[in-house]
This record gives sequence, C-alpha cells and structure tokens, in this order.
Amino acid sequence: MKLLSRLLISLLLAAAASVHAATIEMTVNGLVCAFCAQGIEKQLRKFPATADVVVSLEHKLVAVALKDGQDIADAELRRALTNAGYAVKSIQRTDTPIADLRKRVKQAKP
Amino acid sequence: MFRWSIGLAGALVLVGRAVAKPIAFADGTTVMVEYGAGTMTEEQVFYAPRYDVSVGGGHLELDSDETTKVRRISYARLNYLVRRWNLDDAQANVFAWGGLGSATGDTFSGTLLAENAGAQADYETRRVYASLKTDWQGSSAFSHRIDTLQLGLAPYKHDYDGLASWFLVQARQYTGGIHRGVESALLLRLFKGGAWVEAGVTNGGNLQAMAMFNF
Repeated sequence: MKLLSRLLISLLLAAAASVHAATIEMTVNGLVCAFCAQGIEKQLRKFPATADVVVSLEHKLVAVALKDGQDIADAELRRALTNAGYAVKSIQRTDTPIADLRKRVKQAKP
Repeated sequence: MFRWSIGLAGALVLVGRAVAKPIAFADGTTVMVEYGAGTMTEEQVFYAPRYDVSVGGGHLELDSDETTKVRRISYARLNYLVRRWNLDDAQANVFAWGGLGSATGDTFSGTLLAENAGAQADYETRRVYASLKTDWQGSSAFSHRIDTLQLGLAPYKHDYDGLASWFLVQARQYTGGIHRGVESALLLRLFKGGAWVEAGVTNGGNLQAMAMFNF
C-alpha cells in the first residue's frame, strides 16, 4: 500500500512537471536600449531554472525559457526585474518554445 | 593659467561622461577609454553592485593644445541613481555623483586634493534622447562648473541584437574662466550589445572619440 502511494505521488509529480509552462513572458516598461536588455538578461540567467532568455525592445518583452520541470515564482521574477531597475507590467506563462518566440520577434521587427 | 588648465582638464573629462549614463546595469562592469580632441586620454572602470549605485575610478592625462601644460588626475567616484521613471516607451533618470581625486601637473607643485560633485537628468525613447548635466570640480586652487545639454535622434528603432545609431548635438557652457560662450559638437554614436563607439567633431574642428564596454 505504501509503495502504491509513493508510486502514485511520483506519477502525479511527474505529470505536474510535464504541464509546466515552457516559457515565461513578461511585459516590461522602460526598455529603450541594449544596455537595459543586457542588464535584465544577466539577472535572469542567474536563476538555475533559466534555460534561455529573449529580450525584445520593440515588444517590451522579456521571455525566460525554463529548464524541464523547473519554475521561477512570479515574486522572484518581479524582484529580479526590480533589482535590475525595471518595472514589470505583466507576467504570462505559455507553452511557446523560446525558439518560436525568438523567430516571431525577429519577423515582427519594424 | 593654472585655473584655466585645471578647468580644461575637467572639461575634457566630461566629454566622455556626457553621453553615457554613469551606471550601466546591476552587477555590471563598465570599461571606457577615450581620446579627446588631441588633448586628453582617459581610462575608467566602474562596477555597479546594484542598478542604482556604481563605484570605481579612473586616470586622466591631459596635454593642452594651446600650451605645453600637462595634467594627470587619478580619482575615485561614487555614482547614484536618485530616481528612475520606467514609462511605456521611454525611460527617464536623475543621477548624482561625488568623488575625490589627486591632481599633479607642471603648473603647481606636489599633489592637490580634487573634489567633484554633479548631477544629470535624462530622457530617452528608442528614437529621441535628451540629457542635461551639471558638474562641479574644485580644490584649494580652483573651482568651476560645466553644464552640458545633449539632444539625440535615432534614424531607426534598434533592438537588442541590432546596431543602434544616434546623431547628437551638444551644447556646453563653462564657468570659472574655462571657455567663453557655448561650445557645440556633432556626434555619431553606435552601439551593439555591450559595445559602444562614439566619434564627433567640435565647432573648433577637433575630433572626439570614445569606446565603452559593458559586461
């Protein structure tokens, strides 16, 4: 019975990890130059859960690709952006692969 | 002449600072080298432990283009971001700074303690840039203030991975008998990622150039 419970919990945890968002997309105010983006990227790459970062000045977008089964809490993200000197307007979790997001951002350039 | 020489030193130091924010980003290091109108070379290193503070120092060597006077100034400085406004498509900042340094040269004997204080307000979108700065330097032997206004226009909106280009006009007024009237300059600024290169010419026909790296 104990073994069955453990197996069930493991399966539930694995399932929960598999439905985690692949990407966190944030709308950020004050993004006007490459140095802004550079500072933000540097802060976000410090998270162990960060696999990749995309920043678009045009879209006021900061996106973080998460490593499999890992996550970063909204409060931590807001703190990181605040500590980088910027204001987060919104945080959205999506299943969009970061490569697709990067492609979309490049295609939509002015 | 002594006051004029030290004033020239301060003015030339500011040529590079006037176009760059004194703090790049949190946990960032800024290295800058500058060649100013044939009369100065300068190296600076600043480290920002937080997005609103940077500390560091630099070394400045001056060779007046009108006399044979030479000045060497080594300094330490603290920069502080007093207030930042992060707007939808723009950013505005107010900075203040202060520092101490030592000056040697051939117009006075020994080493002088030099003090510095200043402030800068700027507003920037991806197409428009404006900044107003005032900077004071003084010692037991001199005191002067330099006020600088910069207006910039980008011909296109750059993005993080692209090349940014800016055209700037600069107007500068000096106190302390450094320069009569307003000095103007035209500058071209290019940057990509953490690398920044800038060059321009003053109304006196002198070249100004700067390279800056943030990492």
